[in-house]
Parts: sequence; structure tokens; C-alpha cells
Amino acid sequence: MIFNTDVALQNAVNGLLIGGTYATVSLGFSLVWGILNIVNLAHGAFVMLGAYETYWLFTLYHVDPLASLPLTAAALFAFAYPIQRYVINLVIRASFLVTFLLTFGLELLITNIALAAWTADIRSVTTVYSGRSLLLGPVVLPLVRVATFAVAVAVAILLHLLLTRTRLGSAIRATASDQEAARLMGIPIAHVYALTFGIAAATAAIAGGLISLSFPIYPAMDAGYTFIGFVVCALGGLGSVPGALLGGVILGLLQTYTAAWLGPNYDNLVAFAVLILILLLRPAGLLGRVQRFRG
Amino acid sequence: MTPRTLALGALAAAALGVAVAFPAFAGGYYVRLATGIYMFGALASAWNLVGGYTGYPDFGGAAFLGIGAYTTGILMLRAHLPFAAALGAGGALAVLAAVGMGTLLLRLRGHYFAIATLGFMLVLRQVAANLPITGGGSGMNLPIASAFTPFYYWMLGAVVLGALGGALLPRSRAGYAIAAIRENQDAAQVLGIEPLPYKILAYASNALLFGAVGGIYAYWFTFIDPPTVFNIDFSIQAVVMTLLGGPGTALGPVAGAIILKILDTILTNISLFLHNVFFGALVCVLIIFAPRGLAEVLRRRGGIVRAIRTELEDSRV
Repeated sequence: MIFNTDVALQNAVNGLLIGGTYATVSLGFSLVWGILNIVNLAHGAFVMLGAYETYWLFTLYHVDPLASLPLTAAALFAFAYPIQRYVINLVIRASFLVTFLLTFGLELLITNIALAAWTADIRSVTTVYSGRSLLLGPVVLPLVRVATFAVAVAVAILLHLLLTRTRLGSAIRATASDQEAARLMGIPIAHVYALTFGIAAATAAIAGGLISLSFPIYPAMDAGYTFIGFVVCALGGLGSVPGALLGGVILGLLQTYTAAWLGPNYDNLVAFAVLILILLLRPAGLLGRVQRFRG
Repeated sequence: MTPRTLALGALAAAALGVAVAFPAFAGGYYVRLATGIYMFGALASAWNLVGGYTGYPDFGGAAFLGIGAYTTGILMLRAHLPFAAALGAGGALAVLAAVGMGTLLLRLRGHYFAIATLGFMLVLRQVAANLPITGGGSGMNLPIASAFTPFYYWMLGAVVLGALGGALLPRSRAGYAIAAIRENQDAAQVLGIEPLPYKILAYASNALLFGAVGGIYAYWFTFIDPPTVFNIDFSIQAVVMTLLGGPGTALGPVAGAIILKILDTILTNISLFLHNVFFGALVCVLIIFAPRGLAEVLRRRGGIVRAIRTELEDSRV
């Protein structure tokens, strides 16, 4: 095969753009894992709910998918806050298997109710600008993917500022580094945990809204996105916003290049290979601190 | 042997006697229901070896179930092997895969191991959906068996094997090593226990049972495709049944399978929606109020309510 620069360049752009969406999927997953020490198996279900909300707002009320993102995010925040505050907080200090299984039970509940309400039909959001592209020399830039990437970067920057520049961010980081000390400083731990979980769900909802613009929507779509969230976290490091961005883009690039080489049907295989390699070679992730492994 | 273990042994032998004679007097529906209960009893017992005794939260058991199912199917359909030989090959391949994957994955702990096993299953599902030999996404049809009672005995054999494994493991040298690794791996290493081979042993035994059940399941249902056998439901039901009955005990997982499967059958008869939502709700309630299993709650002094209250006090924020 002759090496074609244009194709390679196009693949790089495609991978970078899809990596932005992966990063948005992973931001919340990383936050909950890093701060609350919970691997949230319901994270993909939040993405799915965000995608459906975007879909219904668009289909029933003709709200533009990008314009409805703040509304979708607010709704998922309101949905997730009480789940953490009144359910997961009950077992947060138990062993990892307990919180892991609890979030799995929540995932089963959410996806099965979604299945009963909306059926297993595959849906999609098609706007008037869905087919349009920008041309940049030999590279085609689909308008939707560019917008998606811009939103992804904006969300990452906002989250980073929230965590590093605000009082709430300080409280969240203090709780993560030493729960007891944070409690003694007067930080309401249960409330901070619930806020963190709610923020994570809000970013997942935004990811869902972005995904609805380019990918099919159905109730069982969640598992694949939870897995992506995990792989990106392992790549980039836990609780790190720049790490999630970097991890998302690397995974996007790897999947795009291997899809050009192996065909598009092996994306899970690529993600898994990346996961195993990174866990064996650099378990803290590319930008992460060395973590405590809880057995 | 204490009188208690003797009595328990006698009880188990009597139950086995009834189970062997069961198809002679029960109707076809009940034989089929019992076959399903044994199938999940075997899966739960298998998970118990890894999750209960070794403390490794394996969520990818369905990977081995799929390997067993597809190997059995391919060998029967394309090589015209008899069922028993194909099943043996399926079990053997599952063990090989477990030794290979275990060597890599069992170095990881906790969350990492759990998700990596889940990922392994997703990968196999994708590979099976894309290979020509498996029939790809449209699945494969196995030859149809002449009688269905043999499947009852095959599954009974699997669950007995699982329970025996659960009973014998903690009494063996390997069992002591595994318990030491579960409680404190670093301390175990200082005592001269090399953790990896023991963990692989438990993981491979679990894979053998999942693979065998997969092979029997494939011939029993005669049709398999990637989403039905590489299905996380098998892994999760095994986990929940074990937690319900009591992890790290020989008969707990089987008891969990009996309770859950009967409850599930009743609910499915009422409404399919209820059946789907029930399992998720059960997982949540069980995990919050009795994370160490129902047996543990019943065993505690001071009554169920107090046991649950202490549990909640310990783990809430």
C-alpha cells in the first residue's frame, strides 16, 4: 500500500475530533473515581439519558441539540445528586466490590426502565447542518464533529477552573485528599460527594448530547461508553482533567488509525489492548500520580 | 469430622439422591426449571472460587462461557465430533484462555481487574461477531439433541463439581494459600507464598466451570450468537447469587441460585418488565442492606434489624 499523506492527515483529524467526545465521556467518570473512589458503572447510563433528552427535545420541540446542552446537564445533575446523597452515600465506606455492584444495580434499573419506556429502537438526531463540512486543504472537517470538539474542550476547561479556582473546587479536592481532615474543617462531606457526583452526571449528559449528533442512540449504548471512560482514565490518570483530554485524544487517534488498518469492527479490541498495556507498564496513567491500589 | 459436617454431608447426599431421581417423577417444565437452576448454581459456585475465596472481583466469566459454547458448537457442527468430546475441548480451551489472561490480569487489583475482565469479554464478543468460523453476527445453529433429560444431568454434574470445588478448596494447601493472599497479599508473600500461581489456579477452575456450562448451554439451546453467550448477565447473576447465599462457602452460591431463579421465574410469569427491573432493584437493596450476604445477616446476634443497622453505621458517610 502506498503511504498516502492526505489519508493519514484526515485520520489524524478524525481521531482528534472523536477524542474530544471520548474526553467528555471520561471527565465525570474520572472525577467520581478520583474523588469518591467509586468506579461508576452507571456512568454510561447517564450518557444514554443525556442523549435521549437531547433527542426528545429536538424531536418534540425542535430545540437545537447544542442549545439544549445546558438544560440536559441541569436535568442530569438534579437526577444524580439525590442518588449519591441518599443511596450511594449509605455504602461509600464499604469495600470496593460493594459500591461497584451498587452502581451496576443502578445501571440495570436505569437501562431497563429506559428500554421499557423508549423500546430498543435505534434513533438518531439529524439537524439541518448534520451533513455539512468545512474544507481545509485536503482535509474534510464535518461541521458537527468540529462543534462537538469545541464544546468538549470548553467543558474540560470549565471543569478544570471549577476544581482549581473556586471554593467548591477546593472543598472537593480537600475531601478527596483527606476525608477526616476535611470534615474537621467544616466541609459537609455528604453534600460535597453528592455535588461531585451530580457534576459528573452533568458532564456525562453533555457527552450524551454530543454523541447524539454523530452516533446512534439506544438504551443499551451505555456499556461501551462506560468502558471508554475507564480506558481513558487508565490512560490519562485519575481525577485529572488534562489527563482525560489527553487520554481521550490518544484513544481516538489509536482507534481511527487501527480502523483504517483492521477495519472498523475491532474498536473494543484496540481499547482493551491499550488498557492492558498501560496498566502493566504505567499503572498511574500518563499524567496521574501513583495511586493506592485497593484490593 | 465433627457431627455437624457429618450431618451436612448426609443432607447433601440425600438432596443429591432426590435430584438424580427428579426427572423420573417431575414434569418437563419442572425439569427444565431445575436444569436452569443447576446452570446458575454452577456459575455462582465457579465465581465463588475467584470472587469469594480469592477476593478477586471477576466480571468477565461470560468470556469463558462463550469460549466453551463456541468451541462446542464449532467442533460439533464443522468437525462432527460427539457432544462429550466437543464439550471437553471447550472446557480445555476455556482453561487455556484463563491461564493466558490470568497471567496478565491477575497482577492487577480491585477495580482494574474487574474492568479488565469485563473488557476481555467485550473483546471476545466483538471477535466472535466478526469471524467467519463462528457464523459472525448471525450466530450458529447446533444439531438438535434427541432428548432433553441428559442436559438435566450434565448441568447437575456441573453444579456438583462446583460445590465440591467450593467444599474442598478451603481444606487444601492451595486453599490456605488463597485465603492468606485474600486477607493480605504482601504478608502472604513474606511467608513465601508466590501469589500468581494460586490465583491462576482459582481463576482457571472458575473458567473450566463457565466453559463447561457454556458448552452444555449451547447444545441445550441449539442456537448461539455473540450477544447471548458473551453476556454480562451471566457474570452478574453469578455474583449476585453468591452474595445472596454467602461468598466463601461451599453451598451458599447454590442456595443463592435456587432462591433467585425461583423468584425470577415467578416474576417473569407476572410481567417481563417486572423481571427486568427486579434484578437491578434486588442488586441495590441487597448491596445496601446485606453486603455480606443474607446468611451473614441471619447469623448475627441481636436480630436482622440490628445486624443491618450496624452494617449501615459502618459504611455510610
